[in-house]
Formats: sequence, C-alpha cells, structure tokens
Amino acid sequence: MSPLRRVLPHVVVLAVFAVLLWFLPGTIRALFGQASVSYVTLVTNAASLAILALSWDLLARTGQVSLAHAAFFGAGAYSTALLSRFADVPLWLGIPLGGVVAGLIALALGPVTLRLHGIYFAIATLSFTEVLRAVVHQLPSRIAGGAPGLNVPALFRPTFVAGEMERWEVAFIRNEGYFLIYAAVLVFTLLLSIIIQRTRLRYAFTAVRTNQEVAAVMGVNPARTKLLAFVLSSVPVGLLGAVAAHRFGSVNPFETFSIHTTVLALVTPIFGGLYTTVGPLLGATVLAGIEETLRRSLDSGYMIAYGVVLVFAVLFMPRGLVGLLGKLFRRRREAAK
Amino acid sequence: MSLLDVSGLSKQFGGLTAVAGMNFTVTGGEILAIIGPNGAGKTTMLNLLSGLLQPTAGSIRLNGTDLAGKLPDVRCHLGLGRAFQVVQPFPEMTVAENVNVGALFGQPGTTAVEAEALTRDALMTSGLWHLRDTPAEDLTLMQEKRLEIARALATRPLILLLDEVMAGLRPGEAREAIDLVRRIRDTGVTVIFIEHVMPVVKDLADRVIVMDYGRMIAEGSYAEVTANPAVIEAYLGTDEEGEDAL
Repeated sequence: MSPLRRVLPHVVVLAVFAVLLWFLPGTIRALFGQASVSYVTLVTNAASLAILALSWDLLARTGQVSLAHAAFFGAGAYSTALLSRFADVPLWLGIPLGGVVAGLIALALGPVTLRLHGIYFAIATLSFTEVLRAVVHQLPSRIAGGAPGLNVPALFRPTFVAGEMERWEVAFIRNEGYFLIYAAVLVFTLLLSIIIQRTRLRYAFTAVRTNQEVAAVMGVNPARTKLLAFVLSSVPVGLLGAVAAHRFGSVNPFETFSIHTTVLALVTPIFGGLYTTVGPLLGATVLAGIEETLRRSLDSGYMIAYGVVLVFAVLFMPRGLVGLLGKLFRRRREAAK
Repeated sequence: MSLLDVSGLSKQFGGLTAVAGMNFTVTGGEILAIIGPNGAGKTTMLNLLSGLLQPTAGSIRLNGTDLAGKLPDVRCHLGLGRAFQVVQPFPEMTVAENVNVGALFGQPGTTAVEAEALTRDALMTSGLWHLRDTPAEDLTLMQEKRLEIARALATRPLILLLDEVMAGLRPGEAREAIDLVRRIRDTGVTVIFIEHVMPVVKDLADRVIVMDYGRMIAEGSYAEVTANPAVIEAYLGTDEEGEDAL
C-alpha cells in the first residue's frame, strides 16, 4: 500500500476531529450559558497540554527524553513578543515565526546534544533551558525586558456593546478565539504525529529507539532520524509558546521558561500512553479534567492530590491509559468468544 | 577484481590488539568462513567491516570504494548486510515490520511499495512468511536467527556478514540454516560467516580464514586449513570436538 493511502484515512478522522473542535465552543455555550466562559478556558488548557504532550512524544519515539520543552515554549513566546515590539510584524505572522524559531534552535542544538543518551541528554536539554532563560534575563532590558519581561499585544479585543450582548459574552468571544487558535496548533501537531506513525518514519523512529546499532547496520541514519524528530517536536511547542504569550499578555524569564512546562510535557504522555497519537491526547484531556475537578473541590493543596493521582497512575498503568484500555478491550473480546 | 579488499586492518582497544594487520580479499559469489578460538578477533573483524568500529590502521575497500570513516548506515547502502551473533530483533515490531526496516532503509530511494515486495521476498526466502504478523518477541531462537538473516537480506546486500548463525541450534535446525545460506548465495550474494561448528564450515565454506590473537594464521580450503599444524595447535586440538556438534 502506498504511504498516501495509509495516511489518508487517518487524515479524514483528523478532519472530523477538527470540525468537532470548531463547533465545541458554540456547543458549550449553548449548553452552559454564562458558565461556558470558564469551560472554554478548561478545554483550551486541555488543548495546550495535549500539544505539549504530543510534541514531546514525537521525540520520545526515537528514545530521547527531552527536558527542553520550556526552552522551545519560551523561544516561541519571546520571538513573537520581540517581533511585534521591534519589527512591527503582524501578529498572524509572528506566531508561525515562533514555531520556526523553535525549529531552528532545535536544528542547531540537536547535533551537539543528540549523541547523548538517556539521562545525559535529559540533563543537557535541561541545562540548555536554564542557559536560554539566563540569556533572556540578562539581555539589556530595553531589548528583552529583563526580569519583569515584556507586554505582548492581545489577539482578540472584543468590545462590549451595551444592549446587544451580556457582559460575560465579551469574555466568551475572547476565550473562543484563543481556543480556536490552540485547536489549530493541536490539529497541526496531530497531523505531524499521524504522518510519522503512518509512514516509514515510524520504522526509523522505533528502530532507533529499540536498538540504534542494529538500526544503523540496516541503513537507518540514527543521527539524522533523531535530529528530524527533535525539530518536528520543537515546532509545535514554539507555536504554543507564541500563542500563549498573546493569550496571557506578557512574557518573563521565570514563567515563560518555567520547568512546569517541561514536567507537564513529560508526565502527560506517560500517563496517557507513550509512542502513540491517541495516548498523549487522551492523557491531556483526562489530566486537565482531573486537575480542574481537584482545584474546584480542594481549593488549596490540590496539587498534592494531583501528584498522588499521577504517582498511582504510573505505578498501576505502566503503559498509560492506552495500555489499560487496550487490555480491558482484549479481555472483553476474549470473554465474548 | 575482488569485491572486498581488506589490507593491513588493525584494531586496538587500549593495550589490547584485537585485530592485527589482517589482509584478505573476497571475490563475488563466494562463501568465506572466518574461524578461530574465542577472543581471536572474529566479531571485531565483522564490526570493523560493518562500521560499528573504526579501525586503528589499515583500509577496507568495497567494490573499489574506500570505506574509511563511513558510518554503518552508509556501508549498508553500499552493500554490507549484517546478521548479529546475539539476535537483536526490534521486539515491539512484528516479524514483517522488522524486515521492512531493512527493506525501506537498506537502499536509498526505495519506495514503500517496493519495500513491501522486498519484505515478502526476504520472508519467503528465510521461511518466515507464515509468521509475518507475529510479534518479534514471541519467536523461537531458530526463528529469531532466520529473522536476523531476513532483515539483512532485505537491505539487498552485496555481501552478507553472518556472525555465528548456527550457535545454539539443534542439528536439524543447523541443517536448515545451511540450506538457507546456500540459497542466499545462489541469488548472487557473497557470504562471510563466523562459525565454531566445524562440520558447518566444511559443508558451506568455499574458503576458510583462521584467526588467532587477531592475526590470520591460515587461509585456504577447508581441507587445507584443517591439515595445517598451526591451526590444529591454536584451534582444533587433536580431537575434533566440533564433530559432536552436528
């Protein structure tokens, strides 16, 4: 079967998913009215988590555990912030350029770090994140804003028209706009993942992950394969960082390069199921839901409960949600026989 | 002209000389055996050929191309296929997927459709077609060895490097493996194999190279090298223990 014919059915499923995402905010609004403002924020956070998780997983498929996601996130965020400040680049162009900058950084960083394995690669990427943060922090503040950071213009400024809409609808329109952009980045990331999984790249990635020497004597170039994965993995995070900078209205060295981003990117696919397209997506949706529920019901200290949930998940679902569901499905099918 | 030309090839690990000034040539279509006691440097020799190790001195030419500094994947593209002594399938993949890696990446420019055909051929040749959808981790040792060969075959090698493919096989299985290697040679592939089981060497090899302490101590037909006093001294001993293995 030709690669196109293998990819196409999955792209059709993705297109249906994209249409569902398009109608999601409207549906939420019809169902929940004023409460939909925070629900749209919740699904935006889930989409953000899914982008982080899935893009991290792309590189993990070659066996490399990266702790550089915060660096790419920050690179995208600062790119669009600086471009809109100094170059007057229109916002619609600044965001894609955030992805491009992240990809270029990966292209430069990859050849020096990807020859390292396991914990050594992880440490190198973590160090890189800290170095990038320090550089941004120490640049003259008239350039990158120093510790307080920079303001970033909003993408959506709906104005309140008295008599025609309610107050909360202004917030809804803004949140809906950001959700749709997050959804677009998510669909792009899913498309990358599908292309990798349904073409020869999956063979190269899996071969390099399971046995690099054997992969090499079978004609796979491990260095190039890992570099490709690194670049593909960094671009969606750069896009996400750029969109997030506009959504939150500012960037600064501490929050924009937060280790939290890196940790979420790593934990979510492990929770959902590694080396799959569905796993990180499912993991992100469930985790975002769990976090929100805990936050509403526990008030303070909810992060502790969240941590406990994750610890148990890793202990009892070694192959993540996808592995667990697969097992249940097989058991039911065997019981039916 | 010779297909493979090894000259002055040496490899040192710190103070240990694993391969010391090996010189030999291989002509297209022959089956060459490399034998010798454990630690003689046979596997190191294959690793130097497939590029997993870089030599300390000397050169390897394949079809006239100098392989110096060429990485394993490039050597694979140039026509060196390799089956490992310790079988190393990709456990998460099925048998067919394992072979497909070699088919897709063994030669640049192979389309997915061509690779599918190559995979089928390699699975047929190696007798694994009926196991194509089995996860590689579920295979028996003999099947794993066949998979090693099938994967290497799918890369369309000019020379197939086999590292102790018969080790651990029962006599009947070794017989099957010998037939398989013959069939592969009959398709025009040159074979270099390392082997301890002497009857296999006797059966298969057109020519035998004997290594000891990294050096070549004898070269010739099976009859010639087994009659060589230096070989008997270093490797065979006075009674041929190898005979019991088949």
